[in-house]
Amino acid sequence: MAGLFDSLNSARTSLEVNQKSIEIIGNNISNLNTEGYSRQKALLSTYPAMNFGDFFIGQGVKISDVSREHDVFIDRQIKQKSVEFGFQDALNRPLSDLERVFNVSNDNISTDIDTFFDSWQKLSADPGDTVLRNNVILQGQVLAAGFNNTANELNTIKSSIDDSIVSRIESVNMQMQEIAELNDRIYSIEIHGQTANSARDQRDLLAKSLAKSLGAQSYEDSKGMLAVHLPGGLPLVQGTMSMSISANISGSSLNLQLKAGGVTRDIGSHNMGGEFAGLLDIRDNFIPELNSEIDKLAYELSVQINLQHQAGGSLDSTTGNLFFSMPPGYVATEYAGAARQMSVVITDPVKIAAGATPDPGPPPTTVAPGDNRNALTLSNIGDNYLIDGTDSFNSLYAKIVATVGIESSQNQLSLKGAKDALVQLENFRDGLVGVSLEEEMISLIQFQRGFESSAKFLSTVDEMMGTIINLKK
Amino acid sequence: MKVTENTTYRLMKSNLERITTELLDLRNQGATGLKLNRPSDDPGAVRPVLTTRTQLQQNERYLDTTGHAGDKMAATDGFLAEVENILVRVKEIAINSVNGAMGPSDQANLADEIAGLKDRLLASSNAIIDGKYIFAGFKEKTRPFTENPAYDPALYDATDITTWPYQYNGDHNRTELEITPGEFLEVNLTGNELFMGISNQTAATGSTDPQHGPASADLFSVLTRMEEAVRAGNVDNISGPGGSIQAQMANLDIAADQNRSLRSILGSKAARVDSAALHQQDARIDLEQILSRYQDADMIEVFNDILKQETAFRAALNISSRVSDISILDYF
Repeated sequence: MAGLFDSLNSARTSLEVNQKSIEIIGNNISNLNTEGYSRQKALLSTYPAMNFGDFFIGQGVKISDVSREHDVFIDRQIKQKSVEFGFQDALNRPLSDLERVFNVSNDNISTDIDTFFDSWQKLSADPGDTVLRNNVILQGQVLAAGFNNTANELNTIKSSIDDSIVSRIESVNMQMQEIAELNDRIYSIEIHGQTANSARDQRDLLAKSLAKSLGAQSYEDSKGMLAVHLPGGLPLVQGTMSMSISANISGSSLNLQLKAGGVTRDIGSHNMGGEFAGLLDIRDNFIPELNSEIDKLAYELSVQINLQHQAGGSLDSTTGNLFFSMPPGYVATEYAGAARQMSVVITDPVKIAAGATPDPGPPPTTVAPGDNRNALTLSNIGDNYLIDGTDSFNSLYAKIVATVGIESSQNQLSLKGAKDALVQLENFRDGLVGVSLEEEMISLIQFQRGFESSAKFLSTVDEMMGTIINLKK
Repeated sequence: MKVTENTTYRLMKSNLERITTELLDLRNQGATGLKLNRPSDDPGAVRPVLTTRTQLQQNERYLDTTGHAGDKMAATDGFLAEVENILVRVKEIAINSVNGAMGPSDQANLADEIAGLKDRLLASSNAIIDGKYIFAGFKEKTRPFTENPAYDPALYDATDITTWPYQYNGDHNRTELEITPGEFLEVNLTGNELFMGISNQTAATGSTDPQHGPASADLFSVLTRMEEAVRAGNVDNISGPGGSIQAQMANLDIAADQNRSLRSILGSKAARVDSAALHQQDARIDLEQILSRYQDADMIEVFNDILKQETAFRAALNISSRVSDISILDYF
């Protein structure tokens, strides 16, 4: 009879374990679509066998652990790929914007330059006509406005990148704090010998997200806590302590700072990765380059036109009149600010110097209305003048546009490649640790039948006990 | 390795995204007709496209300018023809007047006719096209030829322009226009070289000596003095009124030759302008072709690609819908 009670116990353990296993399967199925979920399974082990004289008989089954399936290698691969994906993804929007500013349609600075020189050519055929003179002023204003707008748009893109960064900082800080809290929770759970499955899943997900936004790398230390740090080595989460990133706005520029252990450090695109690095890189390297090239173009254009215009004679026989405003850096031959401040200073069409300089005399000559010599020279500056001896105005602009085009097309290719790689890796991960409906259903049958047979076993033991008890009436 | 639902859906999703993105691109190409919509479509084509557009715009401008120049030259030629006619008529009258049978009143009539022709010459020399005097050099708003109030027939000196009957108020600059890239052509004649026989270089020095060679003459002086000579009946007295009809007839020939040679110079320039215009028109076609090669999409190819992509899209959508049809849950 004592043996029968042992069997009863054995049957009981079996029922419990099968029930629990079915619960775990149920949990897997309900988390089918949860992001970052790893399939959990119960590790079954037998109770230590008891000695029955000559032989050992097992005492049933217990769940020694509920563990999650986990592949460190794939996890690491995914985090690495996420860094690159984040970088390219963050570049995509600003580059699209830049392509809009430096476009190849019929409405860009190149066309404005062409129309401007064209207006001088038209004027050369009829230099005394006020309408044509006004047209030259108008086209000059259109050109200057084109440069102003481009410079302003570049600034706008820069400031929207800043906004983008600021909006992400808060969520990044929150994620770092969550990782620290999870570290604490996982540690306190696992110290009792259990595995904190869903907490680990969550932590992995957060680490992946930080990799995408900051390029953060993570590794697990001896105590099971995840240490997260930037590519340069600066710590983000250590043990149960999380650092924080803040945005330092001075004037119109935005810098990022990391507060770690009481020390505030500046961080930039060189010691970060992922989205932040991409945004900072385009804001601090690429856009300023474009800005300086556009400034160079505006500077050279303004100065050359002005010099030639000053060498000519206006209808009122004055000479030395400026057409555009001289760029702010003219005296020091510095290009900065030329595009934003370019403007036409002539308002009176009479002041347009279409003719050659009048002879100072004596006696001083006047400029005749049919004198078109300066207009002819001015209209050819666009073809003849080479900036630095290599590029005409149009070809410099074309270079700028092509630079943007190359950068954007490379980004599109890299983004597609990173995305494809990430999809493949995620699929691979799913293949190893994901929840497959077929697998769960089969397991369900398995454990259901196990439950049924345990129940059968139980009723059999029960009958046997009943038989024994009924031995004596 | 197992295949989970997530794997299947992720794969379907990324494939559909890929196909729809490509389809959007192709549809955009088809709708705009351009394969270069953004710089990233073909960075290497950006510079040729922008350069060719510049050239096309210049080409249009040159066509306009050559048209302009051609019109001006044609109008000028019309006036030169008129001058030729006047000189021929004056010579006829002069020959007529040498006929000894003419009485004083006949000679007075002939002289009046010459005066009338001189007025016509003056009108031609002050011709206006499009609101501008065409024989005034750069000073197109100033009436080029006016009567010299200090003219005294007795003080006439062929080597001093201040004694001539008419004075020139324009300047000596011929107008240049650019008819092809880098080629500048003078498209008019100045009043001083055409009507007064003073070359532009001499006029530039501002001296009062016209430096007439054996082939130059002042048309106004010739006509004025011919009129005086005819009125006075002075046939061959050089120091008499008008310097003798004979002398002035010789001058008339010189003047007519001067007119003709300048007219032929203008004519050859006009021919140059015509050929430049033709060349620009041909160049335009070539430029358009170059531009099209870089930026236009091959429509047949694009439509074919769209068909292919749409088929692929339909297939992908079909597969996506069938994925959810079969499930292990149907069998339980």
